[in-house]
Amino acid sequence: MTVAFLDPLKIGRLRQSINQDAEFKLAARYMSEDVLFEVDKARSIVRVRNGEISEIKIGPSPDESWSFGISAPAASWEKLLQQIPPPFFTGLNAAMMRRHLQITGNLELAFAYLWALNRILDIMKQPGNE
Amino acid sequence: MAKLEAVIGRYCYLTVDGVEYRVYFEENGRGIPLLCQHTAGSDGRQWRHLLNDPEVTSKYRVIVPDLPYHGKSLPPQSVDWWKAEYKLTKSFFIDFLVELKHCLELKRPAFIGCSMGGNLALDLALERPDEFKAVIGLEGADYTPGLDIIWFNHPRISGEFKFANLYESTAPAGPENNRREIGWVYSQSAPPVFRGDLYYYSREHNLTGQLGRIDTSRIPVYLLCGEYDFASTPEMCRRTASQIKGAKYTLMEGLGHFPVAENYQLFKRYLMPVLNEIANMR
Repeated sequence: MTVAFLDPLKIGRLRQSINQDAEFKLAARYMSEDVLFEVDKARSIVRVRNGEISEIKIGPSPDESWSFGISAPAASWEKLLQQIPPPFFTGLNAAMMRRHLQITGNLELAFAYLWALNRILDIMKQPGNE
Repeated sequence: MAKLEAVIGRYCYLTVDGVEYRVYFEENGRGIPLLCQHTAGSDGRQWRHLLNDPEVTSKYRVIVPDLPYHGKSLPPQSVDWWKAEYKLTKSFFIDFLVELKHCLELKRPAFIGCSMGGNLALDLALERPDEFKAVIGLEGADYTPGLDIIWFNHPRISGEFKFANLYESTAPAGPENNRREIGWVYSQSAPPVFRGDLYYYSREHNLTGQLGRIDTSRIPVYLLCGEYDFASTPEMCRRTASQIKGAKYTLMEGLGHFPVAENYQLFKRYLMPVLNEIANMR
């Protein structure tokens, strides 16, 4: 599968969809963090500034840092992004609790913005963003 | 004409360990008393659909308390509760339910509880089997470790974490408003309450190796678990039931950790056979 934040043809539309989403605007208010998304060994950084995604960068360079990361094998992402996900894949925390996904780095920040992060997953399920 | 529910709310005063508590409860119906225990960090509002279901209230007197420190049951007046960390202990939880039963003069009520209430169903069956007619444990198991994480009561994490976290605990195809309502109620509890309740849920409640002592000829035990529950998983619940001779286990497809609140109409399909069976017991 191809996850939208790793696909150069999809990241523009994904960024626009997220920034136009009313619930994300609420959940991400005050958020200014760089989030590393990992699918197996593929990576991208989603940069959020003042509640808006300012950049999605595929393949960050070795000297870049981030606030926290969300890391899972492709099989887990495939389940997380299903319209009706299977048990234990209803969100980042559920998948993490059952060890299908890891949140790396600053867990406190990740949990502070869990609502916004889960909303990103929801938007990635929408038509055109899959 | 005003649109009114038949549910009424009242307060009762009861004493546990020498401390008096003013306890809020709601009730509706006539028949066998059915004591309903809410989940950790929440309150009795999550039973509102059951309280308003005539099919249940025609046979059962449904009684839903808010535990002290939860919902409309304020902390006690005689204790400097702000000087100590809030922790729900197993002995308090058991004694509170039994005292409430006595306070309301309930004769062998049935008990139903969800999550920590589901765990309590097992503790009551083991420790107070003659007080209750039957116990129904929803989303409970013999041992549910690992949930009392610091992030549920941390000065730098807001109630929005609970709002998002508990939403994930529901099944994805359920009514969206109900799923959000669960998170809404969770985000309203006082900061230490959820984690303090999880002290019981994840630490004090541990029936490993003790389930064989539950005598279902004295107190029937029903365990029901939602397919999507990642805290007390169907496998944990099934394993628990398998160690209690005579216990009945039901997997609830399409439901998560909050069956009574997240999708009552679907939950009811699993609940009514149990309630009908209990109603027909001598």
